[in-house]
Amino acid sequence: MSEQVRNRLMLAVALVLAAIYLFPLYWMYITALKTGSAMFATPPKFWPSEPQWSIYADVWQSRNMGRYLWNSLVIAFGAVALISVLGVGCAYVLARYRNVWVDIGLFLILMLQVLPASLMITPIFVGFSQFGLLETPRFAVILAIAAKSMPFFVVLVRATFMSVPMELEEAALVDGNSRIGAFFNIVLPLARNGILVSAILIFMQAFGEFVYSKSMIQAVELQPASVGLNSFMGPNTNEWNNIMAYATIYVTPILAAFILLQRRIVSGLTSGALK
Amino acid sequence: MTLQIELNGVNKFYGAFHALKDINLAIEEGTFVALVGPSGCGKSTLLRSLAGLEKISTGQMKIAGALMNDVPPRKRDVAMVFQSYALYPHMTVEENLTYSLRIRGVKKAEARKAAEEVAATTGLSHLMKRYPRELSGGQRQRVAMSRAIIRHPKAFLFDEPLSNLDAALRVHMRKEIRALHDRLKATSVYVTHDQIEAMTMADHVVVMRDGIIEQQGRPLDLYDRPANKFVAGFIGSPAMNFISATVAEDGTHIVLDFGKTQAKLALGSRLASGTSVTAGIRPEHIKVVAEGQGAFDVPVGIVESTGSATYITSATTPELTIVETGRGGARSGEIIGLAIDPAQLHLFDTATGKRIESENGRVGIEPPIHLHLAGHAS
Repeated sequence: MSEQVRNRLMLAVALVLAAIYLFPLYWMYITALKTGSAMFATPPKFWPSEPQWSIYADVWQSRNMGRYLWNSLVIAFGAVALISVLGVGCAYVLARYRNVWVDIGLFLILMLQVLPASLMITPIFVGFSQFGLLETPRFAVILAIAAKSMPFFVVLVRATFMSVPMELEEAALVDGNSRIGAFFNIVLPLARNGILVSAILIFMQAFGEFVYSKSMIQAVELQPASVGLNSFMGPNTNEWNNIMAYATIYVTPILAAFILLQRRIVSGLTSGALK
Repeated sequence: MTLQIELNGVNKFYGAFHALKDINLAIEEGTFVALVGPSGCGKSTLLRSLAGLEKISTGQMKIAGALMNDVPPRKRDVAMVFQSYALYPHMTVEENLTYSLRIRGVKKAEARKAAEEVAATTGLSHLMKRYPRELSGGQRQRVAMSRAIIRHPKAFLFDEPLSNLDAALRVHMRKEIRALHDRLKATSVYVTHDQIEAMTMADHVVVMRDGIIEQQGRPLDLYDRPANKFVAGFIGSPAMNFISATVAEDGTHIVLDFGKTQAKLALGSRLASGTSVTAGIRPEHIKVVAEGQGAFDVPVGIVESTGSATYITSATTPELTIVETGRGGARSGEIIGLAIDPAQLHLFDTATGKRIESENGRVGIEPPIHLHLAGHAS
């Protein structure tokens, strides 16, 4: 088999696999545009004959999506802000000091990453309710997400800091700066890309977070879009097109952002891995 | 002349590892000092301690008369040029140069003027708006130097600044740094593993090994009278030839041990018979003469010529390296005679490595005894 033929075959296999993987996404987009009867037609149609574009405005109105998305944004930005402020310092220390305690710290951090949210929610819920944190449920969710995602952020940002040569900091110290000054003047600007990418990943996670929000936020007007989508789906739901339209509105901005930034995200994730 | 840098009994430990052992050093103002030694000898640790990047464990460290043991780097007023240059990648050349001034609160216009003045002397004027990644290796090196110069510090510290440059540029920058030093008259401490850099640039060379100072002094003094076998082998290129030898029974001869054969040389003064010594002779101090005309004969092994000099390696154990200026006629397999100037022969105690010195300083042969080592080649 010539190399060209083999390459084409591999490409074909890759395309088929990607198509299978992305099919649910495609199905979401076209189902949203289908009419009620087209949705349940057998055999199913892979392209809507009469696309219902007005459905987005209808769903946005009827489900009060503006409020849900606003809550999602509040929670996501809150979590990112908290994690960035606390995590950057933590990652820097873990990157610059090497001893047994740092290794133990890193191990614990990675352990935390292993625990699933659905397992953690019960003790978190009990603890938070005793501290009265459930009075401010969105803040409680922000705290819980920050605790959950911090390890991921710290591990990524630590790698970024490790790729900033120690000599640059030392040069700044000899040039007359303090340790803190050198951190803000030299290290932080150079680690900026890695921190931004990590923050974006955290944002995307927090924007779609469901378990903590569902458990801790009872008041509908404070619930994020993920919980709103869940409450849309009852046991006897048949308005799949509306649900898919909701999902489309919810997920498309994140997808778009990811596609736009994917090159930087990938390079940010691997930077520091090679040096 | 006042002392600009003073180290008294400085020790540095990393846990159980003793990195600097009782270092004493006094550097006069305006001196160019080279710290030289193999990697891991502690020269960089010593330099970093001077900069304040490492804290010394015990002893005293003074810069310009003030005790510096616990002073942070920013208050020591020393400038450092790093091996990797450590230019701030997110700043232009101008910002790199003015950074230290801006931290000290110098006004922007003033700092820029200072940067332009320094850049004019180092030939960077046309590069002020560039970023370090847009510069060649030599230009980066200049920026690193300029960044140090602009501050008028109490001392310049150089950490192997030329090791990332190619050979031709290194030779050029060597002269430039020395010229710069002569112009600024600032105290400089220069770390290098390259003894040629140390010899050519410095007023005062400090040879270090395993955390101790093996010898310090003027470059040519180190070359002429190395205090021990290590310094003798480290200073000079190609390296000194060492031949283990024993003092003969009469105490006035040494017997050079060439494995199967031996060569006997007369000493200028008496030594205790039976003493194990190491004889050292620099390749450039051996003269090639006709067979039978020198102190002893050796078979020629390898001949390498650079055009200006010829390097001959003998087919003996240990090998002898001989450097002849010009193009010698020696060919591989030939037998040649070697003449040695007795004043150029060094003797070291085999056990301690220390130099053996007689009253008149002459330890070597007189008159030459002829020996034939040809049988060795087989």
